[in-house]
Amino acid sequence: MPSIASMLVVALVATAALLGGAAPAAAQGGSIVGEVKVTGTPPAPKVIKVNKDNQACGDEKKIAEVMVGPGNGLANAVVSVTDAKGAKPAKKPVLDQKGCEFRPMVVVMPPGELEILNSDGVLHNIHTFSTANPSINKAQPKFKKSMTEKFDKPEVIKIQCDAHSWMLGWIVVTENPAALTDGKGAFRLENVPPGKHKVEVLHPVLGKQSKEVEVKAGQEAKVTFELAAKR
Amino acid sequence: MARPRGKFLQAVLVLVVAFLIFEYGVRPPMPFSLLSLYMAITLLAVLVYVSSDSESWRAFKAPIWATLTEPGRRRRRLGLGVLLPLLVGYYAYSQATAKTEAPVELRAIHPAPPTSIAFRGKTIDLQATDTPVRKEIAQNPANRAKHLQAGGAVYIRNCVYCHGDNLDGKGHFGHGLNPAPADFTDSGTIAQLSEGFLFWRIAKGGPGLPKESTPWNSAMPAWEDRLTEEQIWQVIYYLYETTGYPPRVMDHAAVPPAPGPARVASLFGRGTDVLQPREAGAQPADLARGKSLYEAKCALCHGVSGKGDGPAAELLLPRPRDFTAGKYKIRTTASGQLPTDDDLTRVIREGMPGTSMPAWGSVIKDAKEMQALVAYVKSFAEGFKGARPELTKLPPEVKSSDASVKRGQEMFEAIECHKCHGAAGRGDPAPGSDLKDDWGTPVRPANLTKPWTFRGGPERKDVAARLGTGLMGTPMPTFIDSVEKPEDIWHLANYVRSLAPDRPSWAALLQVRAASGEVPSDPNHDFWRRIPGANFPLVGQVIADPRNFNPTADLITVRAVHTPGEVVFHLTWDDPTPSEPAKGAPKPDMIALQFPAGGLAERPYFLMGDGAKPVYLLTWTPGAGAGEATAAGIGKLTPQSGEAVQVKGQAVYDAGQYRVVLRRALRTPNQADFQFPPGEFFPIAFWAWDGSEGEEGARAAVSSWYYVRLEAPPSARQFVIPPIAVLGAVLVELGLVRWARRRGRGTV
Repeated sequence: MPSIASMLVVALVATAALLGGAAPAAAQGGSIVGEVKVTGTPPAPKVIKVNKDNQACGDEKKIAEVMVGPGNGLANAVVSVTDAKGAKPAKKPVLDQKGCEFRPMVVVMPPGELEILNSDGVLHNIHTFSTANPSINKAQPKFKKSMTEKFDKPEVIKIQCDAHSWMLGWIVVTENPAALTDGKGAFRLENVPPGKHKVEVLHPVLGKQSKEVEVKAGQEAKVTFELAAKR
Repeated sequence: MARPRGKFLQAVLVLVVAFLIFEYGVRPPMPFSLLSLYMAITLLAVLVYVSSDSESWRAFKAPIWATLTEPGRRRRRLGLGVLLPLLVGYYAYSQATAKTEAPVELRAIHPAPPTSIAFRGKTIDLQATDTPVRKEIAQNPANRAKHLQAGGAVYIRNCVYCHGDNLDGKGHFGHGLNPAPADFTDSGTIAQLSEGFLFWRIAKGGPGLPKESTPWNSAMPAWEDRLTEEQIWQVIYYLYETTGYPPRVMDHAAVPPAPGPARVASLFGRGTDVLQPREAGAQPADLARGKSLYEAKCALCHGVSGKGDGPAAELLLPRPRDFTAGKYKIRTTASGQLPTDDDLTRVIREGMPGTSMPAWGSVIKDAKEMQALVAYVKSFAEGFKGARPELTKLPPEVKSSDASVKRGQEMFEAIECHKCHGAAGRGDPAPGSDLKDDWGTPVRPANLTKPWTFRGGPERKDVAARLGTGLMGTPMPTFIDSVEKPEDIWHLANYVRSLAPDRPSWAALLQVRAASGEVPSDPNHDFWRRIPGANFPLVGQVIADPRNFNPTADLITVRAVHTPGEVVFHLTWDDPTPSEPAKGAPKPDMIALQFPAGGLAERPYFLMGDGAKPVYLLTWTPGAGAGEATAAGIGKLTPQSGEAVQVKGQAVYDAGQYRVVLRRALRTPNQADFQFPPGEFFPIAFWAWDGSEGEEGARAAVSSWYYVRLEAPPSARQFVIPPIAVLGAVLVELGLVRWARRRGRGTV
């Protein structure tokens, strides 16, 4: 059951292949599929009572830094092939602020531009905590529906909104092929060149883990990660 | 004819020159009583001179006589005849309408010290020639750095709030104290005193002063319970070493104080080893120069390693900047960019209002020294290497106008500035806001109605620049691309600056006007808008535990009126968060007016008096309402109860501001109460507590003593007295001319 995202990647690669370039070589690669699971007891989500902008934000927010799905699957983890170069996406990656949450909570993007939307119609501000890229703090009032920011260097960047203290997110800038786990902890990396690769999972809160995976052309390599929930 | 006239002119000229010299040539300005005395002596001297012989006396008199009698001088006579009565009338008017001023308090600044004092069960000889610290340094010069470093740390953790980083008495609480904290760089303070005298003053503080030095006013704490003997000698050593003055030595020929320029130079020349130098490899020469400047002064707050963790750091809010992060609030560069050298220089030179960062411009005057210091501060953050920060380009300036201010207000609402700064701009964020800086320290949004606390300066261009660049490291984002039109940045700045004047005017006297008719209890009633408010500064209570280094309230505006039976106070102060225990707040907000308990015989100590001289307080707390209390020392508050409580109050809290009306009968049957005496000057002081910041008991904001007076009802004096004076002057003139003529006819 391929996800929409992976279908998008296939379509994208197909388009890239038609346009020529380096893509055809990658098209002969295999794919890596798998799961990321949590062991131990992850911290329970915090429930925060919203006392401003209720029309846009709702009355209650469930904040889960570690989001766990059925079967202990870990959502919002980034799986990447650390020894390969990722393809350029056809569309600018997008971070939306909707319901006073960052959507997605974790954005995976190659170095370059990110489109930031404000779908809420209230003041938000993008406050980043980075070291490799400049740390920025930019206001996005209700009438500013979209703005574009550049993140040129690979880095895991925490983002927050000072107007809504519960808003928390991450921007993962990486040059490698990368995918985000879904609500069940599943991920799929397509068009990985055949050979032995180092595959790494990274979760902003639970940390990193890497495994060696052998990819064969036209085949699916399977890998499962287990990250320990810190207490 | 020329000579006699010359004599009179000479005399007038001498008097005018003497007046100008006395009035403008003497610093500090002399009081009016002294000036009139000097002028009388000068007049006497001139008269003695002109009347030394009859020839000269006649020459002096001639022009006066001529004006009075000669028919040819009719016009001049008439002119003077009109002008002089008018002057007399003006003087009478200005006297009749004279504003009341607080009485001048005379106090001995350097009272005679005792020969020895008891200190923690030990006797300290104040006349000893060498202090223990100096003896140790004389034995081994290596001890110098240790003592200087310890003295600096004592200073920066205890003295700096009032006496200031620059030792000039301009600490961030300095303006709120009367008498003002001593300026150690002034040649009239420690340069004139012995180290023993300083020990006495530090150990025994204000309460240990003799009566002629008004101990009830002094905010100087008695440090004997907080500092050890060695620490006091160390901080004294630090004061002399840092200012460059030698102490006065008993039984020795007086050592002249070092001249000014040498002192300024020595401030840095000597202080280099105040803290242990940072381990560092080879550095360029100018970096070494900057390093020594930095370690002499900046490191006490910003830390030797530049992490904002110096000995004073934990007591300061906002915290000292962590230079290693490269995040700076006051810049001209875009969000995410490092500041320019000019940005850093400006902040060092001008300081940051509303924080503990003083202006160093008067100390670091040399441009090369400043460059060296800036280079060293930059060396803490890697990012500065080869950085070329991108400047924020502000749109062309828009002058302030009604239309611009209106547009600014629209934008203020559109971009939702109120979320953090409050609807009225008083820095009251929406409830539930959890504003923190990048280091996790809670921060308060700027109170836009107090531009004198704006970190980057109060000018319109400063406000526009902050909107354009944001304040890195804080929740304040940049709005340069987030307004509807670029010039909105200027409209916003114009609106913000339309909210309040550059700085408050501080009062020394609270005039309680006589009111006829009903005085409303509603704090929002128009009645109160028509009465001018008197502003009094509040500062942190840093003497008794728990101390309060960062009080919320820094200003209280007081309006007051009285009727034949009652006095009514109207109080206004800003508090971003209302706290009422009944509504779940752990500690309540509170305000108090302080008076001497009972009569006016003698003033109590300004911190709620003591056992011998207690104070009486009118209080107000949300929920509990108005109350009365007596106190015999700070935190030793005894609330009155039952029928003893006569005060009544009403309050509103609106957009970050409390407004409270307190009313009480002028006289009450309770002996402990203060009885308000009409027409007399009596003392008043103010207290404020912000419950949500944990302020309670001794942890409070407090003011010095000020004066209040219940004014007499307005009279028609100023319309009656001047005409009488004019009429009198005309009659005297007419009599004089008639007499002169009659006499002229008789003699000539």
